[in-house]
Amino acid sequence: MIEDRAAVGPDGSAPEPEIEDIQRPPGPARYRWYVLAAVVIALLALPLFRPVISSYNYVLTLGALILMWVAMSSSWNILGGFAGYISLGHSVFMGVGGYVAGVLLYYYGVSPFLTAPLGGLAAVALGFLAGFITLRTRGPAFIISTIALLFMLMTDNFEYLGGAAGLPLPPLEVSQEWLRVPFYYAMLLIAMGAVWTAYRVAHSKFGMGLRAIAEDEVKAEVAGVPTRLYKISAFAMSAFWVGVAGAIYGYSIAFIRPTVFFTIAISAQMVLMAIIGGKGTVAGPVVGAVLIYAINELSLVVFGATELNIVIQGTMLVAVLLFFPLGVVGTLRKMNRLPAFLNWD
Amino acid sequence: MTNVIQVAILGLLLGGVYALMAAGLTLAFGVMRIVNLAHAAFIIASAYISFFAFERLNIDPLLSVVFVMPIMFLFGVAVYQVLFRRIEGSKKFGEMTVLLTFGIAIMVEGLLGFAFTGIYRKAAPGYANESFIVDGLFLPQGDILFIPKGQFYASLMSIVLLVGLWAFLRYSTTGYAIRATTQNRAAAQIVGVNVRRVSAISFGLSTALAGASGALMSYLFPFFPFRHWQWVAVLLALVVLGGMGSMKGAVIGALVLGVASSFVVDQIGPTWGPMTFYLALFLILLIRPQGLFGKEAPA
Repeated sequence: MIEDRAAVGPDGSAPEPEIEDIQRPPGPARYRWYVLAAVVIALLALPLFRPVISSYNYVLTLGALILMWVAMSSSWNILGGFAGYISLGHSVFMGVGGYVAGVLLYYYGVSPFLTAPLGGLAAVALGFLAGFITLRTRGPAFIISTIALLFMLMTDNFEYLGGAAGLPLPPLEVSQEWLRVPFYYAMLLIAMGAVWTAYRVAHSKFGMGLRAIAEDEVKAEVAGVPTRLYKISAFAMSAFWVGVAGAIYGYSIAFIRPTVFFTIAISAQMVLMAIIGGKGTVAGPVVGAVLIYAINELSLVVFGATELNIVIQGTMLVAVLLFFPLGVVGTLRKMNRLPAFLNWD
Repeated sequence: MTNVIQVAILGLLLGGVYALMAAGLTLAFGVMRIVNLAHAAFIIASAYISFFAFERLNIDPLLSVVFVMPIMFLFGVAVYQVLFRRIEGSKKFGEMTVLLTFGIAIMVEGLLGFAFTGIYRKAAPGYANESFIVDGLFLPQGDILFIPKGQFYASLMSIVLLVGLWAFLRYSTTGYAIRATTQNRAAAQIVGVNVRRVSAISFGLSTALAGASGALMSYLFPFFPFRHWQWVAVLLALVVLGGMGSMKGAVIGALVLGVASSFVVDQIGPTWGPMTFYLALFLILLIRPQGLFGKEAPA
C-alpha cells in the first residue's frame, strides 16, 4: 500500500508515514474472534428457531450437509493444501468411517454417535498404511495411486458388508420432527473439530514443515524437515474427520452402499471446495464448501435434476485453476483485501 | 488345458484393446507431461459418436474410426490450444494437468449425461455376438476354442493403428520431432523443433487414439457417462505399470494385465477382475515406482 503512493508529498517534503496503512490485517485483529463466536453461536442456536423456520427438516439437513463438506474439505486441505499432495481418493476414508460405524450398528446395535470416532481412527489407520505406500511417489504418480486406492477398496465384493447393494441401517428412534437435530449437532461438532485441527496444524512446526514440503521438498529435507514422517502423518491426519463424518452421514441416510461412499465424485467435491476457497489456507475450504454447496443447490433449483450441475462444477474447477489458482481466500490475500475474519493463517 | 488357452486368448484380445486405449494416455504424458484424467471421458464421448452413427446411420463401429479419429484429433488440438497453452511453464505443471483434466473429465461426463442420460449403451453389429470356433489342431479330441469375432476385429484394428502410430513416430519428420520432444523438451527447442506445434499435434494424436478406442468400446463394452472413472483408473494402472510415457511399456502392461485379469475373472469371479489392475498398480508402486520401462519415478 505504501509503495503505491508518491515518494514525495505535494509540497516536495517526505510524506507522513500513515500508521493505519501499515497495520495488517486491516481492522482490529481481535474482531475476527467476535465474528467467529457469532457464527458459532448462530449455528448452535439454529435448531432452536423451529417455530420460525418453515421447512425445518430441510434447513437442518442442508445445514448438516454443508457442515459435513466443511469438515471434509478442511481435512483434505491438510494433505492437499498444506503439504501440496493432492489426493483424489479421499472419499475412501469417508467410506471406511461409514462402513465401520455402519457394520457396528447393523451387527451389534451400537449407535454410530458413539462409534463415529472409531470410524475416524480406522480411517487414520488406513491413511497411515496407504501413505506408507503411495507417498513413495509424488506429483502425478501420487494422485494416480490415490485414485487406485479408492477403486481397490470399493467394497462390492464382500458379502459381510452387503456387497454392491450395501446394508440397510435401522434408523434413529426419534420422532420424525426432531430426527434431523442430532445429526445437525453431530456434523457441527465434526466441522468445528476439523477446522480447529486445520488451524492448529497451520500454526504448528508440523504445519510449517508441510508448507516447506509443498514449496520444495528437497530443500525442506535438507533444512531438516523429516519429510517422509510429516507426509505420512499429514495423510493420516487428513483422514480422521473425513472418517468421522462418513460414520454420521451413513447413519443419517440410514444405509451404507459402495456407490454412495466410494465414489470419486465425493473426492472431486472436496478438491473443488478446497481449491475454490483457497487451498493451503484455514478459511479457504470453509468458504469453498459454503460457496460450492450454494451454487449446487441453486443450479438444482434452476435447471432441475439434470446433469448440468456436474458440468457447472467441472467448468468452475477449470476456470479457477486457470484464472484464480489461489482461490477466493488466496486471491483476496494477494490483493491485500482479505477481511480479518477470514484470515486465520 | 484347453480352458487355460481359452482364457489366455480372451485376455490377449482384451489386452489388445487396452493397449490402444493406454497408448494415447502414455503419448500425452511422454511428450507433454500431461496426465490426462479425461482420457477415458474422451473415449466414452467417442463411443457415443460411434454408437449413434451405428444406430441412426447404420455405420459399422469399426468403420466409424475413419471419422471419429479426425474429429477427436481436432478436438484435442483445440483443447490443447485453449487450456494447456495457458499453464505451460507453471511451476507445478504436472499437478496442474491432473487437476485441469480432472475438471475437463467432470465437464465431459456432465455434458454426456445431460445429452444422453445415464442409461447403458452398447452398439450391436452382427459380429458382436459371434465367435470363430477352432477345433482340431493341437487340441485334445472334442475340445474347441471360441474366439469372439468382435474382440478379434477390435484387436486387429488396435494392432493396425498401433503399428501405424509406431511407423509415424519412427519415419515421419513430425514423428521425429515428437520423439525428440519426448526425450528432451528444452534441447528439442534449441535445435529448432517447434515444441508448441509438436505438443498440439501430439495431444491431438492422443485424443484421436481415444477416438479409435471409443469406436471399439461402443460395441465391446457397455458404457454410460459415469463409467469413465473406472476406465481411467484401469488405464492409469496399465500406464504406470509399463512406465509412464513409455509406449512399449503401455502395450506390454496392457497385454500382461489383460491376461492376468482374465485369469482372475476365470478363477475367482467377475467382480474381482478390475481389482487386478489396482492391485498391480499398488504392487508396482511399492516395488518399482518407475514402472517396467520407465527411466525414473514419475514426479
